[in-house]
Amino acid sequence: MRASMASISTQQFQSVSLRPSTCISKHGICLNVLEFRSELRLSSRYLKWSRRKTERNFSVGANSSPVNSDDDKRVEDEVVKMERNIVDSENPFGRLRGSITSLPPVVFVMKRHIGTNFAVGMCIAIAFLIIAVREYVARKSRYNRPGSVADLVKRGQLRSDRRGISSPLKYDDPFNNPLVKVGKSNSTIEMCGKVYRLAPVTLTEEQQSIHQKRRSRAYQWKRPTMFIKEGDSIPQDVDPDTVRWIPANHPFATTVSDIDEDLAQNNVYQKHGVPFRIKAEHEALQRKLEALQSVLLEIQRLHTPVTISSSI
Amino acid sequence: MISLQLLTSSPNPSSLHTSSPNVFISPQPLNRKTLKPSKPYYKNKPYTTIQSVLQWNRKPQLAGETPRVVVITSGKGGVGKTTTTANVGLSLARLDFSVVAIDADVGLRNLDLLLGLENRVNYTAVEVLNGDCRLDQALVRDKRWSNFELLCISKPRSKLPLGFGGKALIWLVDALKSRQEGCPDFILIDCPAGIDAGFITAITPANEAVIVTTPDITSLRDADRVTGLLECDGIKDIKMIVNRVRTDLIRGEDMMSVLDIQEMLGLPLLGVIPEDAEVIRSTNRGYPLVLNKPPTLAGLAFEQAAWRLVEQDSMKAVMLEEEPKKRGFFSFFGG
Repeated sequence: MRASMASISTQQFQSVSLRPSTCISKHGICLNVLEFRSELRLSSRYLKWSRRKTERNFSVGANSSPVNSDDDKRVEDEVVKMERNIVDSENPFGRLRGSITSLPPVVFVMKRHIGTNFAVGMCIAIAFLIIAVREYVARKSRYNRPGSVADLVKRGQLRSDRRGISSPLKYDDPFNNPLVKVGKSNSTIEMCGKVYRLAPVTLTEEQQSIHQKRRSRAYQWKRPTMFIKEGDSIPQDVDPDTVRWIPANHPFATTVSDIDEDLAQNNVYQKHGVPFRIKAEHEALQRKLEALQSVLLEIQRLHTPVTISSSI
Repeated sequence: MISLQLLTSSPNPSSLHTSSPNVFISPQPLNRKTLKPSKPYYKNKPYTTIQSVLQWNRKPQLAGETPRVVVITSGKGGVGKTTTTANVGLSLARLDFSVVAIDADVGLRNLDLLLGLENRVNYTAVEVLNGDCRLDQALVRDKRWSNFELLCISKPRSKLPLGFGGKALIWLVDALKSRQEGCPDFILIDCPAGIDAGFITAITPANEAVIVTTPDITSLRDADRVTGLLECDGIKDIKMIVNRVRTDLIRGEDMMSVLDIQEMLGLPLLGVIPEDAEVIRSTNRGYPLVLNKPPTLAGLAFEQAAWRLVEQDSMKAVMLEEEPKKRGFFSFFGG
């Protein structure tokens, strides 16, 4: 029995030792409780005495505290009663649980020291006040009357210097405008609200020429100037490298052209008047019409004497 | 990106121009003279007011002879050639340069869709060659920016007669040079994918090239090969645009950085275009990214690339990765 009590008491002691040291050192009540527990641990014979002692201590502690309330006292009494009941019971687990629940919560303990609590409360209140003021100031600066002209100018929707001018703006400077700002040290740039780090370009003329030489070695190419049908042979005096064969079913290109080169060139260079083909078609139609008219006239001429003769 | 302008060693007139706003901002008497701060409101911020006046009045200095015939090519398909052509072209038009964009992608033309001009293409270059219309009738003028014109080479489902090879495009460029309205400043040629007959035709009239690539090895190999072919053809002014760059993947070393790509290809950078969901949206709308208000990240990058193209400049610094914004001490409170 005694051995089991001892083991439980060590557990109790461990559970008590987990509590914050500040609470133990600052608040007398905690020490009292601890003392009360240690008495319990020793023997059940001293229970009665220790109980009395605890109660006395409680009353002393309550008297010494600057602000005492009836509620607090009642709570403490209940706690002690509960503990007493648990200790009286023989179940070791019940005792353990009772010892844990018997610890007065920190809130009750803190309530006793209103001076320090007031300081903490003030700090929290000031912190909240600072947050609220900062938020208010930030919002005010961010949305300076949303929808106002100043806001529109700030967001780049409206030009401050072009208001009332109806002609379109001709020169936009992409390097210096409200959305593009270069940092003070030229190492950063702010574009559309995002800051980017700049790095200098290190390409030199020598490197460029080295790359050019590499490419000239790697890619030997002559631009094809002659496009011929697939199957046709290369004409005389033509470099075979400059010839490209276009298959007849090529989707986008064909070698077939119904007009000759000079005519095409003239068509491109024509600046005034009716385009060549329209003119040609028009003339062809004209000729056709004239031919038709002449034929009709001929027919009329042929038919007219007949009608006259018939009328006669 | 302004560092590119500031760091240029060559005496560039634009860099002088860049520094001019600072010169104007600094002296106080000037502010007092011009602004006359009778109202107390302006007293505190005269600088910002002047800056906002000056910052919209810069214009890039056109370098090289006009017309600048630029072919936009890549080798690989789907890397953003047509998107680049549309956006760079309209950026140039916004910068008050006259631009003619030629869609040389014969079988699979899409530039008209990206520009939202698909319903206005009645005639193409093939009709011009055949004499069905004049060149000025085949040019489709953009209503948003009237100094931007589109010319398609052929209609879908029709074939380009290759009997003249690339000569037809040279005639077209010559005809554009000598037209009444004046020579266009830029002729952009949207090249088809591959190195087939369409590619050969497209590169014929060009005297400079822009290679569009994405940060993956397939695209890089094709870009290297195409660069080699262009160099063999005699086009020496070749720059590259790295498209669809994701800084978050570069940071995790899942994607090659732009500097790695440059080390592999050895080409000067014209621009770096970050991956942006707005590109898909603008493509679907037929409204190029650079006309978006407010501007988007990719749109700004295209505009910067266009600016460099005008000045024949290249990037001197590149964006590597996103830097976390510096936050205040109380930032964890929600500030």
